[in-house]
Amino acid sequence: MKKVWKFLTSMKLAIALLIILAAACAGASFINQGQSYDFYAQMYSERAAALILALSLDDAFHSWWFIAINAFLCLNLLGCNLIRLPQLIRRTKAEKTPDPKTLISAGTREEGISDPKKVFESLHFTSPAEGSFEGKKTLSASKNRIGYWGAWVTHLGILLLIIGFSLGQMTHQEYTVYGVPGQTKMIEGTDLAVTIDDFRIGLREDDTVEQYTADITVQDLSVPDGARESTEISVNHPGKLFGMSFYQNSTGWAAKVGIKKSGNDLQNDVICAGEYVPVRDLPELVVFFNAFYPDYVLVPGVGPQTQSGQLNNPAYLYSLYYQGEILGMNVLMPDEKITVSDYEITFSEPQPYTLIQVKKDSFQSLAFLGGILTMIGLILSFYLLPEKILAVEEEDGTFTVYGHSPKGGALFKERLKKAVLAGKDGSQQ
Amino acid sequence: MLQVENTLFTIVMIIYFVSMILYFIFIAAKKETFSKIAVYLHLGALVLHTAALVCRGIGAGRLPLTNQYEFATSFAWGLSLVSLIFIWKFKFPVLGAFAAPVIFLIIGYAAMQSKEVKELMPALRSNWLGFHVSTAIISYGAFGVSFVLGIIFLLRDRMKEESFWGQHTPAKEKLDMISYRAVALGLLFLTFTIITGAIWAERAWGSYWSWDPKETWSLVTWIIYAIYLHLRIRRGWEGKAAATFAVIGFVCVIFTYIGVNTFLPGLHSYK
Ligand code: HEM
Repeated sequence: MKKVWKFLTSMKLAIALLIILAAACAGASFINQGQSYDFYAQMYSERAAALILALSLDDAFHSWWFIAINAFLCLNLLGCNLIRLPQLIRRTKAEKTPDPKTLISAGTREEGISDPKKVFESLHFTSPAEGSFEGKKTLSASKNRIGYWGAWVTHLGILLLIIGFSLGQMTHQEYTVYGVPGQTKMIEGTDLAVTIDDFRIGLREDDTVEQYTADITVQDLSVPDGARESTEISVNHPGKLFGMSFYQNSTGWAAKVGIKKSGNDLQNDVICAGEYVPVRDLPELVVFFNAFYPDYVLVPGVGPQTQSGQLNNPAYLYSLYYQGEILGMNVLMPDEKITVSDYEITFSEPQPYTLIQVKKDSFQSLAFLGGILTMIGLILSFYLLPEKILAVEEEDGTFTVYGHSPKGGALFKERLKKAVLAGKDGSQQ
Repeated sequence: MLQVENTLFTIVMIIYFVSMILYFIFIAAKKETFSKIAVYLHLGALVLHTAALVCRGIGAGRLPLTNQYEFATSFAWGLSLVSLIFIWKFKFPVLGAFAAPVIFLIIGYAAMQSKEVKELMPALRSNWLGFHVSTAIISYGAFGVSFVLGIIFLLRDRMKEESFWGQHTPAKEKLDMISYRAVALGLLFLTFTIITGAIWAERAWGSYWSWDPKETWSLVTWIIYAIYLHLRIRRGWEGKAAATFAVIGFVCVIFTYIGVNTFLPGLHSYK
């Protein structure tokens, strides 16, 4: 048991896990994710495809082994932080005034200093504490003890980041709603209805798109006359209503499909490209709105295309189905109509629709907190390196200085040497 | 403004080139005069390079950090800046001789890209994107320096103490520390980059992390440097093993930057 715990909290395991994790991520990035057996079979070979599916390499980042690596990493981080906490607290407290014995044994030693205060000053230590050690007068100071916490805080941050991200993946809700101004649509699976009050496309002078903006109102329909909340959303500026985030995600074209029967209006529906409408009194007959071309041209060998985003020459690609069988597919111009027995079908009033993404991830702030802690931890680790020095008065009145910085290495030793020069009489710096 | 930038860019490239040659002569002739001139030219190039980026920014009316050309020239700028700081701080012109060719390669890569200024699609109009890319530049610059230091370390490992290398490069222990400082700077800024990128992605696409290849590779890079840090703590693994990881890390950086766009599909492909 003890052995298992020791292994679980070891840095050896940490390094091994990190190497495996890096290799797994790198490897997975070369395989197209979320494809079918046929796709992989064509891309590689049937054998490889079977292997990819068997090892979940088609969805590597949600596979059992990927989760397992991360779970072990979390255990490792948690264990390592738990073990190190008491010693960290002790160390931070104890080193307020550094222990001469350990400094003398572990530190860098410099002799013959007449003015030790200068050494402290030159290394930016404020107010060294006076004391004594084995009957000798001492001065000592420590700096950046908070830096000891850097790795600990970093580890905690990563732990929260992984946990927050994983919980978010497991629990988040995600929906899409789309429509044109005036339409109200339910967010499927919830009691919320979204009304699109307005949708604007901001163009620059050169006709490139600067911004997509939608005004929306959301109403809670779980109770009669439920609460309403409104907001404006645009790309990079999501809105928050009823605890959900609303993102202006993309846009497309919608149009009015008019159907007449024997010359009389039967129905008028606004639908988006990709949607269909059944004929009201003959539901087996379905009009499918395949695509819209605002500036239509027929390119030989390629097919229908649009030359620009401007409504210069609008055209509608539609198809008709009867009892599930396709009757035909064609391009329809605004002044044309489709005639099927008694019915006349026209397309008109093209307008952009907005596609809004709706999301709720209750653990996003946990992951964010993890990120912030990681950053703070790194700053502590890298830019607040703990340092301590001790000056001991020798019999001849000069001082011997011991300095130690666990992470300062050769650079700290060099700085100490320079500072010692300042503390030696007659030495010109 | 863009015309001025164009001219400045050419001048900057020439100065970097001359400075690189002088750094080489310094190594070959073992005369410090050359290294001094090289460092001054390096500084001059950096100043003009900064001016060029400012002109580009004014000309385009936004941060010059959005397409492949702008990012490449900014990357070279970041490496130039961080290497100059390290040369100056650690009195270490040999570093320049190794950094200069890398700077020159990156700025050469920039020169091959289209310089056309395009209006930004709405998703790219975000302050977070500005933070995201500017922190990436510093991070990549610092990793570039640690890469160069790693190579110097590995070379020095084979040289005698009393040789030119022994004289003009810091002791291995110090070299390892300097490389650690560079990785520390790089990793801190890479963390900023990833976090600001995640915030931007959340606001623009509704999802702060979606395992797109560029995201995945920035994570791989990040993990490589985390491994570097832990190896350094283990006795006996600092030095050579750490230096090797610093080199591998930068290969990942370059792959994240160029390889992902070239070989793997994803959201970041318009960059
Ligand atoms: C994703 C995972 C991890 C990351 C990003 C990470 C990051 C870091 C960082 C930034 C440092 C500070 C290094 C320095 O100041 O030079 C550090 C130190 C350290 N890490 Fe980790 N670490 C991770 C996982 C682990 C795990 C699982 C362990 C468990 C044993 C561990 C053990 C240590 C130890 C013992 C130190 C030295 C602490 C010190 O110097 O006070 N690390 N880590």
